Amino acid sequence: MAQLTLKNLGKSFDGTDVIADLSLDVADGELVCLLGPSGSGKSTVLRMVGGFETPERGAILIDGEDVTEVPPEKRPTGMVFQSHALWSHMTVADNVAFGLKLRRLPKAEIRRKVTEALDLVGLGDFGNRRVWQLSGGQQQRVAIARALVLEPKILLLDEPFASLDQHLRERLREELRDIQRRLGITTLFVTHGQDEALALADRIVVLRGGEIEQAASPDRMYRAPETRFVAGFIGSMNFLACDMRGGRADHPLFPVAAVVPDGPVELAIRPEALTVSPGRSAGMSARVHRKTDYGTHLLLDIVLEDGARVKAMCPPSGAFEAGQEVRLTASQVALFRDEVKLAEVRTEAREVAHV
Amino acid sequence: MTDLSSTGPVRTGGTARRNGRGLTGLLLVSVPVALLGWLIIYPIFNAIGRTILRTDGTGPGFSLDTYVRFFSDGYSLANLWLTLWVTAVCAALLLAICLPLSLYLRFAKSRVAAVVQGLSLFPMFVPSVILAYALIRTIGPNGGVDLVLNALGLPKINSPYLTPWGPIIGLVWDNIPLTTLMLVAGLGAVSDNAVEAARDAGARPWAVLRHIILPQIGNAVLVVLSFTVLSIFSAFTLPYVLGPASPEMMGPFMQRTFGQVMDTRMAVTQAVITFAICAVFGAFYVRSIARNRKNGR
Repeated sequence: MAQLTLKNLGKSFDGTDVIADLSLDVADGELVCLLGPSGSGKSTVLRMVGGFETPERGAILIDGEDVTEVPPEKRPTGMVFQSHALWSHMTVADNVAFGLKLRRLPKAEIRRKVTEALDLVGLGDFGNRRVWQLSGGQQQRVAIARALVLEPKILLLDEPFASLDQHLRERLREELRDIQRRLGITTLFVTHGQDEALALADRIVVLRGGEIEQAASPDRMYRAPETRFVAGFIGSMNFLACDMRGGRADHPLFPVAAVVPDGPVELAIRPEALTVSPGRSAGMSARVHRKTDYGTHLLLDIVLEDGARVKAMCPPSGAFEAGQEVRLTASQVALFRDEVKLAEVRTEAREVAHV
Repeated sequence: MTDLSSTGPVRTGGTARRNGRGLTGLLLVSVPVALLGWLIIYPIFNAIGRTILRTDGTGPGFSLDTYVRFFSDGYSLANLWLTLWVTAVCAALLLAICLPLSLYLRFAKSRVAAVVQGLSLFPMFVPSVILAYALIRTIGPNGGVDLVLNALGLPKINSPYLTPWGPIIGLVWDNIPLTTLMLVAGLGAVSDNAVEAARDAGARPWAVLRHIILPQIGNAVLVVLSFTVLSIFSAFTLPYVLGPASPEMMGPFMQRTFGQVMDTRMAVTQAVITFAICAVFGAFYVRSIARNRKNGR
């Protein structure tokens, strides 16, 4: 159990700031997902915590102890890499035992710890195999066992499931979550998959251009994004440009009312917040362009009269066809201007929450 | 039934395509195989035949007399041992110089690495004979080093020119680029993440080298050693220009036996013995390549 603190971290490569000024606290036993697009600096942050990159500014503290200048081999961290990074000339058990052997533990203890670690990841019978005899998922489990066997204070995972197929990824992240909860180990997990972050994290930190855009629980991150970037990055979001005039949006379909200054805004509506029904909307026509059946729901791609496209989620029983004219209503609309959220409007309850 | 009949033509077509590809492959490979047979395989068997078949006045007959003469002649054996010794020392020195150099080139991220790489490849573009004369002018008697030492009031060096160390210095210098390139290529198989994972597990640099890097480049080192031994064992120019007159390395020895002693059959015998020793290392090389391919699959 340990607490991780990042204080005003800064890092640049070839004169370009990759991390500008980043501060973050990760509590004991918390699983924090660093989420962001390519180049957002999430892997750099993780590598700085692991000791593989040295920050130019700021400090990294583990349990209050400054480890900024401590080399990786002396840091109380364990890292799992995207490429597994297993050593192909060793058996599975030797891979897991490597760090223990370096610490000169007694052979019996090494054997016990290796067995425990492999059992933990469900590979108890695979100790004598060569790593290339394992599947991708099994290799990643070995990498997790190798990191956990050293009982690190902080577990670092750098997109560990990125190279695996969807089913395996889902299964492994559930297993990882179980292991992490069982051990109560403080974990920093880097991913560019929003579904992975939403499924795993106690808290998600969205990075953009080396700065924290928003740090919040998965629930808040999805339902109450604070910036336009987060709103667009987490999940699917429809953005419709319009103007606010006298406290009302001038969009013909969604004339939401909110006490915000006049000027251009973007209405942000989740596909599941849209209700689609056959018929014609009063202000502007909308037609189904394409229907995709995902089994659990239908996703309608709807083209508005002004050429804008919106996506709407409907129950699978919905009888819609391409070309059909539909009526749209939104239960929740957020208003953004220049990246900043101005208001959140729940149209059914006619309740306006200002931020 | 329908399924079976419908697969017939497809299979025929597939076989035809495979046959076509096979024929193209055979045609492509036939030229190098023919050249190999003409320029290498035939001369080898021809040379072996010439050394074991005697054609004197009594008619053709089988004889190993030149081999017996070679292995019972102290001077020939001294030449063979000198060549083996020079080869072994060169291989050891090349590994000692090129392994740290290639490790630096593989893992260094600084701009200096590019300069070092350029410098390490420079000897590749210098012909052996130019190198030999440059070394004579540098480390030979009254060469550049002696002039500097003399200017500093220091005694002259014990020049390696015309001693076994002369060709060793030249051969090592000459072989640094290829050896480094092969080792860097071998180190390419060791991923950054594999090294970082070892450091993460607590390995210091020496432990990373010993437990992670060296085991993974074992094949590359074997290839380097085989290649180095093959090229150094059969070297001629540098041992001829820089080496001692007696004992001498096998290259100059063969040339002298052929051109000055005019004993063609003995020169060919020396060549066959040299080839046999090189073939052992060649077999190592082929085996490592085959093992690499098998592991790759």
